[in-house]
Amino acid sequence: MTDGLLSAETAVRVSGTDPGEELLAAARGAASVPVERVGPTGATALDPLVLATDDGRTALYAGATAERAESVAAGLGGGSFPGDPDAAVDHGPGPTRLPAAGTGPLAVGVRRVLGGAGWVVPDSPADHETAGGFGADDADQAALLDAARSVPGRGWGDGATDDPVADLWETVRGAAGDAAVVVNAHGTPADRLLLASVPFVVLEGALAAARVVDASEAVVYCSAADAATAETVTAAAAAYPDPAVPLRVETGPDEYRAAEPTMALEALEGNHRLEARLRPPGPAAVGLDGRPTAVHTPRTLAQVVAALDGAPTRLVTVDGDVAAPATVELRTGATLADAVEAVDPEGTVKAACVGGEFGGLTADLDVPLSVEGLTGADLGTEGVVELLAEGRCSVAFAGERARFAEEENCGRCVPCREGTQQLTALLRELYEGRYRADALHELMGVMSSSSICAFGVDAPRPVRTAMAEFEREFEAHAAGRCPAGACDGLEMEAHT
Amino acid sequence: MSSHDEPTDVPPLTEEMAPGTATDPPVGGEAATVTVDGERVQVPAGSTLLDALEATGADEEVPALCHYGREGIGPRSECRTCMVETDAHGVVPSCSFPAEDGMTVNTAADAAETARSVNLDLVLSDHNLRCTTCGKNGRCELQDAAIDERVEEPRYGVLDDRDAYEPLDNTSEFIQIDRNKCILCNRCVEACNDVQVEGVLRVEGHGADTRIGFQSDAETMEDSTCVSCGHCATVCPTGSLIEKGIEDATTLPMPGFTHKNSVGTSVESSGEQENPMTQMKRREDGDTATDGGTDGSTDGSPFDDEETWPPDDRTDDTGGERP
Repeated sequence: MTDGLLSAETAVRVSGTDPGEELLAAARGAASVPVERVGPTGATALDPLVLATDDGRTALYAGATAERAESVAAGLGGGSFPGDPDAAVDHGPGPTRLPAAGTGPLAVGVRRVLGGAGWVVPDSPADHETAGGFGADDADQAALLDAARSVPGRGWGDGATDDPVADLWETVRGAAGDAAVVVNAHGTPADRLLLASVPFVVLEGALAAARVVDASEAVVYCSAADAATAETVTAAAAAYPDPAVPLRVETGPDEYRAAEPTMALEALEGNHRLEARLRPPGPAAVGLDGRPTAVHTPRTLAQVVAALDGAPTRLVTVDGDVAAPATVELRTGATLADAVEAVDPEGTVKAACVGGEFGGLTADLDVPLSVEGLTGADLGTEGVVELLAEGRCSVAFAGERARFAEEENCGRCVPCREGTQQLTALLRELYEGRYRADALHELMGVMSSSSICAFGVDAPRPVRTAMAEFEREFEAHAAGRCPAGACDGLEMEAHT
Repeated sequence: MSSHDEPTDVPPLTEEMAPGTATDPPVGGEAATVTVDGERVQVPAGSTLLDALEATGADEEVPALCHYGREGIGPRSECRTCMVETDAHGVVPSCSFPAEDGMTVNTAADAAETARSVNLDLVLSDHNLRCTTCGKNGRCELQDAAIDERVEEPRYGVLDDRDAYEPLDNTSEFIQIDRNKCILCNRCVEACNDVQVEGVLRVEGHGADTRIGFQSDAETMEDSTCVSCGHCATVCPTGSLIEKGIEDATTLPMPGFTHKNSVGTSVESSGEQENPMTQMKRREDGDTATDGGTDGSTDGSPFDDEETWPPDDRTDDTGGERP
């Protein structure tokens, strides 16, 4: 294995979701030291981020332009950092994780799973090894199952959402047939971040799963919209030293529903139209091409690897009415409010939609980011928190989500296909002066109890939680008034 | 709908078929003893809960509208009007849930009754309920279910906006399609693909646009590769696929009162097809991709959508009138 970037004492790193070729070329043209593209850190407010390392110190240049990158690269090595860095961190020789500054979004939470994000070269096995990686390759199955027992599946794209991963592995292992592992990286920002920045951590987890369930291959499934991420993980898969099973990377359509585990399998099997499969049995028994299949998100697999060596954490992306979204890693016990520290909200925070597209609305941010804490508050565990600033209307928000569900569902089952249309229609009635809360509750209850997949089960949550948290706004709309003023310009009729 | 447990001697022809439906797992469990509404019943391996309900007669309690119950077709489990409550798993669809040994099923539980009732009304909400000009009047499974369940006034109304109707496909000499009556049970698609192995029909689209279409990308039945076997019309639970000639069989004999004008618009035969019904007209390039979202234009987020909420017909540039 050749030396990686981590062995270079003086180096320039260029980080960001898409820092641009121009910036990278400018830095490379000017520098006499290694200049490498690293993955994003998760703190998009800092992108593109240039990190200059020399003599046991690293300087951070946020929002760097090509000119600035060029001057930093040209001036590096003179004993002090050129220009005026946004932060500089003393770390001594050879740090294997991003040296986090004491303030700003990178200072929020911990950086265990994300430790290498923005620091290691994503597809360099040497960097991953230097950073202490590939440990799961040597772990025995009992240790892996123990680790998997402490990790609940992360995200709606996981085959074991909120349930212990080990249970699913045991089901797959016990089912007849040649097993498979699917890494479902479709759709969620934290999953994309892991694959773009520290793909080896995810692949390590996938290979560990493959060994435990005795799978013959592991397939990484990305959205076609994430071509760059797919490229990175493809390069990492090709460079993986002696993988226990073959790895391959596939893409599926850029549609929200394509992340649902069985629709992911449909996409991988080449179906031109995606709809949910019946269950039971689920993919753990009958999955990819009919084989027992462990479907996991990158977050889940990375946490299993992390759990070999400490307590699992939780990745949360804060988005919505913010200056720039951020993905942070938090310890068990952290709250929504802790995650919100990582962003600059645009105005006063009125509420948060917690749990992705079909998350729940809450005005209270003092909710623990655990499965129990979140589900107890009727919030989602998807790991995406959208802030709603003062001035946003909860009725309009709920209506947008109902309409999204109406437009994006696969069309298979009645409670979801027809239910989402009626849900949207019942919300529209508010603007005509009718608020039929009982009818809404009855419909939403049936959608959740009888839809085939999590899409229809979760689709009513934004409406249900908005009604609970902001009931007066719903009543006000039926009386012809939007308290937030956001529905100004819309025709409203008071109930007569 | 193919299934993973099918034997491997399926004709190779089926590999080219693209019905647009998911490959469901096999349903049914091992031989089991199940208690249905207090009555114990033994069912053989491969049985669903609906089989157990049928064994005790409790299937009378559940419409199970999309269920067909014959080899090769279903369970599609799309209508969810067969929901029952179980001790072990809560409310489940009986038509596709495996009968597990020791299970206790309660058909009369409130949550199950409400689910069946709401889902039946949801089916009706998207159904052209012009029964008096429908050739299936009196032999329609949806009508039977609505009568059995004493539906007087469906919660969500019925599809009675004629402007929203799809035109009748009246182009074929043998089979007429009225998609306004389709409940998307998928029986026709399975009959066409899995039983007759013709590969003509498919499910296409998603959300409210989900519909029965043609694998050849044809727009009409006349232009499709249909061989007029009629199996689709045989299995159709409603008047959506009906043999030509009897589409007005139950229409009241009043002048000007017809099935066709109850829908309003129809697509008629071009008259150009010389031998329309036996020749396979599948395009040779084999490109069947239409809806799978491969256009990849957006991630579907509502934030990408320029429309405002609620939709534009409520938008008022003048600032809105408030009473």
